[in-house]
Amino acid sequence: MNQTTAYPISPLDSPPKRPPAKWKKHIWGYLFLLPAVVIFFTFLWMPIGKGIIFSFYHIDFVKGDTFVGWDNYERVFKDPEVMISVKNTLYYILLGILIGFWIPIVFAISISEMRRFQGFARIAAYLPYVVPFVVLYGLWRWLYDPVGPINAVLTRIGFDSVLFLTDKAWSMISIVIMETWQSFGSALLIYLAAILSIPRDWYEAAEIDGAGVWKRIRHITLPAIKNQIILLFLLQLIATSQGFQTQYALLDGGPNNATLTYALLVVRYAFTRQDYGTASALGVLMFLVLGLLAVIQYRMSNKREA
Amino acid sequence: MRKISTVIACLLVFSLVLAACGSKNNNNASPSASPKSSTAAESSTAPESSEAPPAVDLTQVKATISVYYPTPDQVEKRALEDDKIKRFNEVYPNVEVVKSDWQYNPNEIGIKMGANEAPTLFNTYATEGKFLAEKGWAADITELYNNYDKKDQLNPILLDQFNLGGKIFGIPQQGYVVGTVVNKKMLDDKGVAVPALDWTWDDVLNTAKAIADPAKGISGIAPMGKGNEAGWNWTNFLFEAGGEIQKVEGGKVIATFNSDAGLKAIEFYSKLKEASVIPADWALGWGDAVGAFAQGRTAMVIAGPDGPLDQGLNQGGLKPEDLIVYPMPAATAGGKHTGVLGGDFLVINPNATPEEQQIAFQYAVFDYFSDKGLESTEANIQARKAENKYFVPPVIQYFKQDSEYGAKVKAVYDKYDNVYQYSNELMGLLDGKPEAQFNTQEYYAAMTNVIQEVFSKKGVDLKAQLDAAAKTVQEKFFDQIKVE
Repeated sequence: MNQTTAYPISPLDSPPKRPPAKWKKHIWGYLFLLPAVVIFFTFLWMPIGKGIIFSFYHIDFVKGDTFVGWDNYERVFKDPEVMISVKNTLYYILLGILIGFWIPIVFAISISEMRRFQGFARIAAYLPYVVPFVVLYGLWRWLYDPVGPINAVLTRIGFDSVLFLTDKAWSMISIVIMETWQSFGSALLIYLAAILSIPRDWYEAAEIDGAGVWKRIRHITLPAIKNQIILLFLLQLIATSQGFQTQYALLDGGPNNATLTYALLVVRYAFTRQDYGTASALGVLMFLVLGLLAVIQYRMSNKREA
Repeated sequence: MRKISTVIACLLVFSLVLAACGSKNNNNASPSASPKSSTAAESSTAPESSEAPPAVDLTQVKATISVYYPTPDQVEKRALEDDKIKRFNEVYPNVEVVKSDWQYNPNEIGIKMGANEAPTLFNTYATEGKFLAEKGWAADITELYNNYDKKDQLNPILLDQFNLGGKIFGIPQQGYVVGTVVNKKMLDDKGVAVPALDWTWDDVLNTAKAIADPAKGISGIAPMGKGNEAGWNWTNFLFEAGGEIQKVEGGKVIATFNSDAGLKAIEFYSKLKEASVIPADWALGWGDAVGAFAQGRTAMVIAGPDGPLDQGLNQGGLKPEDLIVYPMPAATAGGKHTGVLGGDFLVINPNATPEEQQIAFQYAVFDYFSDKGLESTEANIQARKAENKYFVPPVIQYFKQDSEYGAKVKAVYDKYDNVYQYSNELMGLLDGKPEAQFNTQEYYAAMTNVIQEVFSKKGVDLKAQLDAAAKTVQEKFFDQIKVE
């Protein structure tokens, strides 16, 4: 044990060592961040910046752009299709919540309560999510066909057949049902992971105290996954407010604009009418609304962490 | 939180500054101002008798051109194109021909031109001529056309669609007059009388009524109801009723499709709906309607005839005798069988150098009027025969049907029983009418909404719907145009 605690004393005349500069201390961190920053900047911040600038221009990729001030925004506010698309988008968001939001929660809780075949149920629920969109649309077109299986069942039990896609009252509902079927699996996995991370002894204690299934769900499961519910609710709001793919592919915004969403209108302005300036103005307005939602989500998650 | 907000704000401001630096405006150089480009805008202001460039032996020129190449599913067409490239390179050994399988799409052309990614030679449709020329996205090829020794043999019906104010912007490939293709087998199976080719709207309605079986999901006729195709399909009926989409008066474009003829045409659509002869699920685009026809889910479809014929014969397992191509029905007996005149064209990218443009033109017309081209077509017919497939020629060829070359082609077609032959009676009845010159797609979109309203509701005020659509198109688009 010849260990010594003594350490060499530096000579008095040598200058004191300066602590390394802050940036030097973190240089490796910054370097690791660099690729992400470059990618985000190139593919996210730059396009957002360009979009804002484009919204004040008449865009012509060949002959050059012309500054038009607030003209594009004026056109947006004068176009009656904008109001139709806003209403349709709000309706789509609402339907998404009413029809689609609670389903993954129910399925996740049900699967977590299963004693057997849990793995199979998990895979079966997630499978629709990996179905390619082309197949999805073909499949649901067949299901929704006026002489397809759903209508066959409806007429067999005495109902009139429903024109799921071409009846204005049904078209958006049909789209939401189809999208819910396709995408609830991914949300389900998030909820299921949260549920399975709840300590089992909480449930055991509740069972000992005589709590049944409903009471366990109400007093343990739901409060425990509250954060995930709020997070996924906000993410669903953001995602559905940008929805256009199914509306475009299945009905191209019809019948008579019944499924014309705001994002689809942006696509029409940009790529059908080649009016990139007005499309950018629409995009900027959408960005402001979605930005607000993102801030709310950020603040809420911060509050929860605190 | 404040720190993060500051960082985000800084990033946004930085992005704006950079984006502003990168954005173009009128004062900055645009691609059209680059020395190597020659846009339609520039060309249109250039004097007709500009000095001819010194003659260059194109066969010795070293260049790279990208050309329109069929999609992977069009195996036979790809084989034809590969053969053409091979033969082209034998004459132009220093030219590298790059295959581009980008198919023209009005929704993508802006981006392609903006990114300078459009091929040197790309395909387009008849509707797009004026649009592409005005945007400066199609090169003015008048000089190349004038120097082409076989220009007088090109089919003027097609060529005229890309002849704007005496300037040529496209090379015709093939064309069609919209007609109605009828599945005769379905009519025969149900014992329905086959109408005469010189038919009327009433004949269409009665035939459709006789064949429709909504309980089994079978419709009499499938007018397109989704996307702009709906407006395009309906326009045929507008023309047959004697209507026009628009007129030019005092330098202004005026919407006229809400005329009495327009009302008559939309009333006919309403009758089709009331008689339940259209598909209950009527939101069908071109592919959906033609697909339904090939599957025997509808007895009649309105389109350029070669599309439904090809799908019916080569995918639907039908025989030529099972299908009849009709002209569009006349509104009343003795009326004209007017259908929209459409077609496929090749356009040269104005951003290409003059030499590349010359080579692209040579490539486009390389097989035109040549025996080699004909041999290649014959080989294609034989290959199809070996696979029990049919060859469906275009209704309108790039050459005049009654020309010497037309007779040669006809002789080749006559040699094979797997070539679909259009009847002489049909060809005599077809009456092609070009589409609107201004804002065609916007007009189609507005009419699509009207058609969808008619198909989805009962008791629609048809006149009010037409007037509202005309007002929208007029105020939103036509009022912005000044015709010089």
